[in-house]
Amino acid sequence: MNAIEVKNLKKSFGDFQAVQDATFSANAGEVLSLLGPNGAGKSTTISMLSGLLTPTGGDASIMGHSVTKEPELAKASLGVVPQDIALYPDLSARENLVFWGKMYGLRGAALKSRVDEVLEIIGLTDRQKDHVGKFSGGMKRRVNIGAALLHKPDVIIMDEPTVGIDPQSRRHILDNVKELNRQGMTVLYTTHYMEEAAELSNHIAIMDKGRVIAYGSHDELIKMVGQETRIDVTLNAEAEKILDAWRATEGVARIDSLDGKITALVDDSNRVLPRLFDAASKHGVRITSVDIQEPNLETVFLHLTGRALRD
Amino acid sequence: MKILAIAIKDLTRSFRSAFAIGMMVVAPLMLTGLIYFAFGSMSSGDVSMTAIKVGVVNADKLPDNSVLNVPIGDNIRSMFFDESVKSWIEASDYADEASVRAAVDKQEIGVAVIIPQNFTERYLSGKKDVQVLIVSDPTLSIGPAVVEDMVTMMVDGVAGGGIAIETIMERLQANGIQPNPTQIPSWIERYTNWYADFQRNLFHHPDKAVLVLVAPAADETKTANPLAQMMGLTMVGQMIFFAFFTGSNSMMSILREDEEGTLARLFTTPTNRTNILIGKFLAVFFTVFLQGMVLMAAGRFAFGIQWGQPASVALAFAAQMIAAVGLGVLLISFVKNTKQGGPVLGGGLTILGMLGGLFTANIPGGMPEAFNVIGNFIPQGWVLKGWRMALDGSAAGDLLIPFFITITMGIVMFAIGAMMFRKRYA
Ligand SMILES: Nc1ncnc2c1ncn2[C@@H]1O[C@H](COP(=O)(O)OP(=O)(O)OP(=O)(O)O)[C@@H](O)[C@H]1O
Ligand SMILES: [Mg+2]
Repeated sequence: MNAIEVKNLKKSFGDFQAVQDATFSANAGEVLSLLGPNGAGKSTTISMLSGLLTPTGGDASIMGHSVTKEPELAKASLGVVPQDIALYPDLSARENLVFWGKMYGLRGAALKSRVDEVLEIIGLTDRQKDHVGKFSGGMKRRVNIGAALLHKPDVIIMDEPTVGIDPQSRRHILDNVKELNRQGMTVLYTTHYMEEAAELSNHIAIMDKGRVIAYGSHDELIKMVGQETRIDVTLNAEAEKILDAWRATEGVARIDSLDGKITALVDDSNRVLPRLFDAASKHGVRITSVDIQEPNLETVFLHLTGRALRD
Repeated sequence: MKILAIAIKDLTRSFRSAFAIGMMVVAPLMLTGLIYFAFGSMSSGDVSMTAIKVGVVNADKLPDNSVLNVPIGDNIRSMFFDESVKSWIEASDYADEASVRAAVDKQEIGVAVIIPQNFTERYLSGKKDVQVLIVSDPTLSIGPAVVEDMVTMMVDGVAGGGIAIETIMERLQANGIQPNPTQIPSWIERYTNWYADFQRNLFHHPDKAVLVLVAPAADETKTANPLAQMMGLTMVGQMIFFAFFTGSNSMMSILREDEEGTLARLFTTPTNRTNILIGKFLAVFFTVFLQGMVLMAAGRFAFGIQWGQPASVALAFAAQMIAAVGLGVLLISFVKNTKQGGPVLGGGLTILGMLGGLFTANIPGGMPEAFNVIGNFIPQGWVLKGWRMALDGSAAGDLLIPFFITITMGIVMFAIGAMMFRKRYA
């Protein structure tokens, strides 16, 4: 059984189709990233998964429970970390966690000890009595995540949890995600940062304009585009002196020179680069700079849409 | 269980909010206290009150192509110069802020009211960054409070009217009716005039203004302590007004949660949406209950008010709670966001309170007949009737008619409001 199963999910607001026929799934215990630019429909998709919005068409299930037919069961298996902080600023961190725990049906000693555990996980045991309103942005984000962990959900959905915070808190949160996943939670992670998607995920669904335009593992997605590593080189001499020798080098698929800069597409830069340096030495040419560009999700998005992921 | 957890959480938040506490118990007690001291000192000898000297700077101008005929500043200014307040307000015009402040410093006047140049323009455009400034002699206590009250009532009333018109327009448009925009200025105009007249008639007429009350003549008093009786009515008026305010204000927490994102988060938990609404309604009820208990106890101990026979008091109080919750739920179900909520509560409840006779409850001889009739259509009016009877010492049986009428109103309002909320959220 897939932990998350999304089938032909649709949502329109009036005439506007925010999500069109989204289909993807996540195996139990994996991290699935939903990657897409602003307005792609990520939050709308997540809102349907978490029971906030009713789909216009299609269906989705969490741990086998349809979000439209058995919403309470689906919600009970799910923890949701909303994109914007959703906490009570005039309650303390502990009071917030206790309240959200109760909303997931915990009570008594079990609730108390689980709140202690979660405070430990998010690293706020010392500050548990302070009002959330007084916390820094990064600390609020951590409580925001903590509130979704209380009932030990099988699946956790995080909507852009690292937007607008400092690199240190971001690192803390990414490590938290990995740790939760290591403990067996299935994570649906939404982001418009391709580095985060690449670092965390087993699978990635790329969304744009309400559609899932690509789905697969990081490597599969990159292969799908079929690009080789690109190497940009500059020399202390005329490109013509070396171009033919390099073109004949094993592993070089293509080589061009433009305005003194040489661009090569190679199958494996680790193997090919030393050969290029060797050939250069033999011809008495010096390489003055090298820039290696591994194909990445950005390139994939560019390839699929003709636009950059970040505008 | 979850319902209770939601209600308790809301209560905790209310009791941590300085504003909520202020409006729940501090304001009604302070206002009652003000009248108590004003009145108490008058009845102990010096009956004639020295007039409050007010200096007015009205720089307000009508913006270009305004919908109004006169700037709001003129309305505010004229309140202080009105024939009807001559006996207790002595107003004079000043050219600018500096000169009026100097007059306050030299104690030539007690209170300065400064209406800035672009007040009407900023106010009507919804930008409330420009305010009427009230500067007062720090040695005075009552005068400035009264002046402030007059200004806020006027301004809130105008704002309330503006929002009412906006809401009506939206409703009409939502139902496919295109109102003729050229009519709007005349609506605003008519409303403003009506409101100004209303203010004048109610508050500034010599024998109706709160501060020129004289002690009830000895022969018409039944009870041993006329002051306590008058205070009872004063306090009841304040208590009812602020109970309704509290009912609406605590209901507004649902809009606040909607804006804070916590309502959406609640909806992602395995909690039935109807139960979430019930939890919030319950919190409103508890809050109004606790507030009433505190006010009744404070009234008893601070001002010596005899509330009446326990069973009658219970009926009057129960009616007040149900009506305050009902109207709160209904009012807020029409409001889109907390920003809109403030003026709706301030203006709407002030108007309803006036029509229901809350601010004039303590005036001997009562109200013009027309107002007593209007009061019959307003929940506040019926709550007041119940309390009047309780204070008079009526038995519970006599209170049954106002009780049933009030709770029927309350339940109907609650039902409509709850239905609208269910449609909106559940
Ligand atoms: N309630 C709504 N009514 C109308 N349009 C909406 C509503 N919610 C979202 N949209 C529109 O649907 C589209 C998708 O929005 P969504 O919030 O799902 O994007 P997103 O991928 O989460 O973007 P971001 O990275 O900015 O959070 C946007 O064009 C948005 O304006
Ligand atoms: Mg989003």
